[in-house]
Amino acid sequence: MNPAAALLTLGVLAAASPESSGVQRLGPAAPSVVHRVVTLAPSLTDTVLALGAQDVLVGVSRFDERPEVRRLPRVGGFVDPSVEAVVALKPDLVLVQPGPGNRAPVEAMAGLGISILVLRLASVEDVLAGLRATGAALGRAARGEALAQALEATRAQVRSRARGLPPVRVLFAYGLEPLVVAGPGSFADELLCDAGGTNVASDAGRAYPVWSVERALGAHPDVVLDASEGAAGREALQSLPGLREARWVRLPSPALLHPGPALGQGLEELFLALHPTLPPEAGR
Amino acid sequence: MSAVALAPRRLATAELRFSAGRATAILLLLACGAAAAVLVSAVLGEYPLALGRALRFPASVDATVLWRLRVPRAVLGALVGAALASSGSALQGLLKNPLADPFILGVSGGAALGATLALAVGLTALVGPSLFAFLGSVAAMALVLAVGRSRRSPYAALLTGVVFNAFAAAAITCIKTLVSPDRVGEILYWLAGSLGYETPRTLAGAAVLQVACLGVLWRQSGRLNLLSLGDEDAASLGVPVQRTRTVVLLAASLSVAGAVALSGLVGFVGLIVPHLLRLLLGPDQRLLVPASALAGAGFLVLSDLLTRLLFPLVHAELPVGVVTAVLGGPLFLWLLQRGQVPP
Repeated sequence: MNPAAALLTLGVLAAASPESSGVQRLGPAAPSVVHRVVTLAPSLTDTVLALGAQDVLVGVSRFDERPEVRRLPRVGGFVDPSVEAVVALKPDLVLVQPGPGNRAPVEAMAGLGISILVLRLASVEDVLAGLRATGAALGRAARGEALAQALEATRAQVRSRARGLPPVRVLFAYGLEPLVVAGPGSFADELLCDAGGTNVASDAGRAYPVWSVERALGAHPDVVLDASEGAAGREALQSLPGLREARWVRLPSPALLHPGPALGQGLEELFLALHPTLPPEAGR
Repeated sequence: MSAVALAPRRLATAELRFSAGRATAILLLLACGAAAAVLVSAVLGEYPLALGRALRFPASVDATVLWRLRVPRAVLGALVGAALASSGSALQGLLKNPLADPFILGVSGGAALGATLALAVGLTALVGPSLFAFLGSVAAMALVLAVGRSRRSPYAALLTGVVFNAFAAAAITCIKTLVSPDRVGEILYWLAGSLGYETPRTLAGAAVLQVACLGVLWRQSGRLNLLSLGDEDAASLGVPVQRTRTVVLLAASLSVAGAVALSGLVGFVGLIVPHLLRLLLGPDQRLLVPASALAGAGFLVLSDLLTRLLFPLVHAELPVGVVTAVLGGPLFLWLLQRGQVPP
């Protein structure tokens, strides 16, 4: 194998393999009572709101759309937060979802003496750890624990309801043109398993791959979960044999898309989407 | 703008059009302009900075914003702008091609490929993409120089660079397909070019590199003038043609490699600034090279200031490469249309 190919292979592996710890602290320790919190991702804003700590939020990312934070200042995006905008808000804690893209600005913030809690939200396990860590950091450890336990309880309950039901072959599509699907290592893949689904893209190799349409046809999914925005490519895919026979389902809410406290609700919606003929209370 | 009115139409001839005193005055003026740009850039921004408080209380947020965010960023912008514009000026002269920009010799492709590979593999968890970008561009530069030397024509280096850049673009597209979306996001952001916050040590290292490269380019600028007469005429006037070409290519590429490593691909500075100055000052490289460095520094610092001032409108800092291209593109077309871009 030549060096370039070796590097590429290594890169694909590094991109796919989960890193060691989902919770990381940067900068000085946060005060025991925080009053000014900035979040750099909508899922983290969701968590703060679910913890009932809306009052401490002083800034959010430009992707935040919740009405509760509509009036708050924006400090940039997930990949490109503005260090100066964050510093200007004098936060005593910044919540960050790590991307290789925001590493440099986040480290710059930490270097300026801002406490930072980095929460990786790739898997359900990460989300649970994130709920607990955020709760503890905001002085609401019990509330954080309760949110985490509620999500765990929902998972256990949905798993037991799905047990004994025939498995449903599912294609979870985030985008149709190109076809971007939930692959192994994504939290959506884990939740599909919980809900009695079989991810037809489980051999895709990465969490969010651009998948081949031919593979999708050959996989003959029973259900296509369509989480795409807009209509691009839908008619074309729906007319193809292999996908034409599948039941196409739109997600009833974005709960399943954000790795935050609403995942439990998302999982319930997912279960109903996969098993629509079941009465809502069946198996409870 | 009397200088514009005075600009002669015979731009290709390397005639002397300034005295030493006038050149000094022009450079001083441009230096003051660059310094003013840094100053304005330090004072304005998202945070309502009180300069008095920042200077009197070193522990205040104002002081932090001034000394640890804005000043280092303005210095970085000045270094990168100076590097790109002075290299652009020298390369346009050396390659006798008005479209030569600092990236044309494969430096950009090499830097982008190096950084993209490092980002994709996750090596950047250790040292950041800058080092890999620098290594990539030095490797590309070595390739271009090796091919350029084997064929005694400036076009060999030019074509090698163009071909290498195209290859690098394809390789990057391939890598982007293979990695996860958040890494793609970072790669795209890096490629667009933006100024961040570097440590004082990194800035000092970059300053040493840029001053050294600029010194070499300035020293060679007289020979660059003679080279514009053609290789044979220059050689008959005592210019060691091949050596001059290698030294200038090396200095310009190293300078650009250092700049690209810290800022990504910031376009148009290296193209537009030398052309504007050539229009105003004439084609003498002895003045153009240092003048481009100073004007490039000022231009990039102000462009970056604009990205920060636009933050409240777009809720994001546009990559500075976007601003330089948006400002530089139309300006360049206008110049071209007026027929003022010298061959």
